[in-house]
Amino acid sequence: MILKRAVLLFFVLVSILTATASPAFDISAVRGPHIRDLYMVIYRDPDSQIMALQKGELDVLGDITRPSDVERLASNPDISLSISRGFHLFFMGFNLRKAPWNDRILRQAAAMAVPSRQIVRDIFSGYSEPVSTYLPPVSPYHAPDVKTWNHDPEGARELLKDAGWTWSIDGRLVPPGETVPLGSFRLLSPTAQVAPTTAEISERIAAALNGIGVPVTVEPLDFSTMIRRLDMHDFDLFVMAWSLTRDPDSLFAFFHSSMDVTGGYNIQGLHDPDLDRILEELRWAPDHESAKIAAREAQRMLSEISPWIPVYSRYMVAAVRKGWDGVISTERTSSDNMWTLLGMKPSDGRERPVMWCLSEEPRSLNPLGTSSAYDWQVLGLIYDGLIAVDPESLEDIPWLASSWKIETLEEEGVAHTRLTFRLRRDVKWHDGTPFSSRDVRATLEFLRENEIPRYFDNVRDIDSIDTPDDSTVIVTMKNVSFWHFHNIGGSLVLPAHILEGIGNWETWQPAREPHPSVKGLTSLVGTGPFIFKEYRPGEYVHFVRNDGFWLSGGD
Amino acid sequence: MRSYWIRRAIGAAAVLLLVIAANFFLFRIMPGDVVSSIVDPRFSPEAKERMREVFGLDQPLLRQFVIYVRRMLTFDFGISFLSQRPIWDELRSRVPNTIALLGSALLISSALGTWLGVQAARKRGGITEKVVLISGSISFSFPSFFVQLVLLLFLAYTLPVFPLRGSVSIPVPQGAIDRMLDYIWHLLLPAGSLVLLGFGSWAIYVRNLMVKTLGEDFILLARAKGFSESRVLWNHAFRSALPPILTIFLLALPGIVSGAVITETVFSLHGVGKYLLDSIMGHDYPAAGAAFYILGLLTIISNLAADAAYAIADPRIKVGRRAGM
Repeated sequence: MILKRAVLLFFVLVSILTATASPAFDISAVRGPHIRDLYMVIYRDPDSQIMALQKGELDVLGDITRPSDVERLASNPDISLSISRGFHLFFMGFNLRKAPWNDRILRQAAAMAVPSRQIVRDIFSGYSEPVSTYLPPVSPYHAPDVKTWNHDPEGARELLKDAGWTWSIDGRLVPPGETVPLGSFRLLSPTAQVAPTTAEISERIAAALNGIGVPVTVEPLDFSTMIRRLDMHDFDLFVMAWSLTRDPDSLFAFFHSSMDVTGGYNIQGLHDPDLDRILEELRWAPDHESAKIAAREAQRMLSEISPWIPVYSRYMVAAVRKGWDGVISTERTSSDNMWTLLGMKPSDGRERPVMWCLSEEPRSLNPLGTSSAYDWQVLGLIYDGLIAVDPESLEDIPWLASSWKIETLEEEGVAHTRLTFRLRRDVKWHDGTPFSSRDVRATLEFLRENEIPRYFDNVRDIDSIDTPDDSTVIVTMKNVSFWHFHNIGGSLVLPAHILEGIGNWETWQPAREPHPSVKGLTSLVGTGPFIFKEYRPGEYVHFVRNDGFWLSGGD
Repeated sequence: MRSYWIRRAIGAAAVLLLVIAANFFLFRIMPGDVVSSIVDPRFSPEAKERMREVFGLDQPLLRQFVIYVRRMLTFDFGISFLSQRPIWDELRSRVPNTIALLGSALLISSALGTWLGVQAARKRGGITEKVVLISGSISFSFPSFFVQLVLLLFLAYTLPVFPLRGSVSIPVPQGAIDRMLDYIWHLLLPAGSLVLLGFGSWAIYVRNLMVKTLGEDFILLARAKGFSESRVLWNHAFRSALPPILTIFLLALPGIVSGAVITETVFSLHGVGKYLLDSIMGHDYPAAGAAFYILGLLTIISNLAADAAYAIADPRIKVGRRAGM
């Protein structure tokens, strides 16, 4: 049975990878969009999403998580699947503030006890990747050569024995120099009703730790209660998952001692001056090379310190119905991406709308206030940033900015980063107004002056913004960091003429406000490839092609 | 009579105030808040603090309570934390779908269940009673998500008689009549599934009530007087059993606004149920507080309506008259 399943999994993965990997993706060759209408249709239930895709009511479905669905869709000749590595990272954390988890050897042994590979195989049928490092393998900063603690329960016992740990008659660990065995520990986990796979993984981790003599039981909790317990430091062990980005400076947020505060993410309470120094070098790295060196060193040190046991990273699986050309997927980006929307055109040449699944309701469609991922699926097609991310290499590529310069300057003994962006001259807003440096400046100033939480960290270090001409923006930061480039370049740009009319950014409803001067448009005006047409709550979001998009043409 | 209604009104107002206070404090007793549940390394502790200021969560609790009470009493529910949209707008866009779905399901399942219950009680041990008892038990023992997914699979996927999702087709049909027919077509399967799941409990409840009532002496007397069986059944027995049925029906009415989370999820319907659940899970105090306040208000009104309906349904009951008066 296991062999049959393994063979089936192998064939499914091979068929997915061979069927959909785009041949030698060339970003400069992308032109679009070609489709005239795009509907993001709200299907909440995963079963109805699969049925709609198979029935032909949906063309694109992303974020397929259930192995049974992947296997079902893989056997459907009308559907192409793509699978990519993601920035998700699931781990178990220790409370380093108290014994025995402040003992590094015990943490390393615990990491060796957990069978991540087996867990991934059993629970996800292989549709996830076991990890042992602190950045997922897809990250450009992932250091595959650092020493990790691979599954080896016997090795774990040896490690503990060498460090002076002993075992009581009933098999429980006894700390070095003591006679009383360890008491029972609780592993905080979301409930099985809310997160069945997480609950199952927690049980497996607890069993593995019990196996080396650490008595652990799982304590299932409502997510809010769990967060509260973590905030109060009232825990021994916990499981959690992060959705990371391509930038590794999140390591600073997770492990720097200054982040062990209320609302901070150093949940485990790690305080290590050497690591702090490296994380500071990472956070304030002046350039990409220094960042890469610091990220590697941070991963090496973290592996040694072992404040977490990294367990797995989820693959991103997406499905597209056949009959569409120009679908783009890479090892690092599944096919439900903006590049696919730019490239998509019907194979038979007959114009028809694309039906794209949105698995939850957008909340406000307010680019200033929302933190909902579903809002961003919509807004990401309307608004652009100065730079974009290559879906294959994950490197920066020109977007609204055609080129840029990152400099570290020293003035009056203070070093700071200066970013100079040269903007494209052929870009227009959806309402026909030319895009210029004035818009970039107005956006950054608006975000900074209003201290908008979502952008707070991106813009708070801005010292000045200069616009010497319509196509040049110079942003001078108060300090030095390579990440300023991503924070500023990756932030969306809003039109200055719309920003001027916003009374209260918190309650701004651009999708409902008519455009101040152009009939048929709303205030949701960007430079992106699609123009927002209508949002029908609970039903769909309708876009039409932006014929003035700077990448248009090529039909 | 008047003093009775004054007393009831005062009681209702007191309950409403309790609901308002409970809504405020219960949500705040829950661990965490909307900001602490943000788990995103891109939000620094300072950014979270700023968010707390934006939501007014940095204000003293008493001040928050005063603002909240004023909002509830003036029906200005403010802005949702999660969507940053006015809560009235959020509810307004959802309530019509929810009332259409749950209202029609309640009406049909209660009418069908009541009729079947009466028929089952009419001939004890007959085929109707057996069918009602078995189908009724099956109807309310199946989990709703299972029944709804099976219906969706067979009637929307395998036999594409009904749509898979939502309340409108894409693109939306032109013309008012076509749009209305399209809407009804979309609601048939979700509402039908709720009727299927709901009629059984009504049927069994009414059947049990009617069996008890049909065994009463006044029914024997009516039959002895030579009244037709139909008259005995409907004019005497059913009328006597009507008050508890009315109570259950009227107390079920607020439920048609509270929504049905599972049905809304399976059929991707834009309703109040999912909104309420998301508001609670996301610590969206203003949204959850407003929704529960409206539900509380409707429950109180339904209670008062049930009192009034008793008197209409059964002339022996006079509101405000104490025993022996």
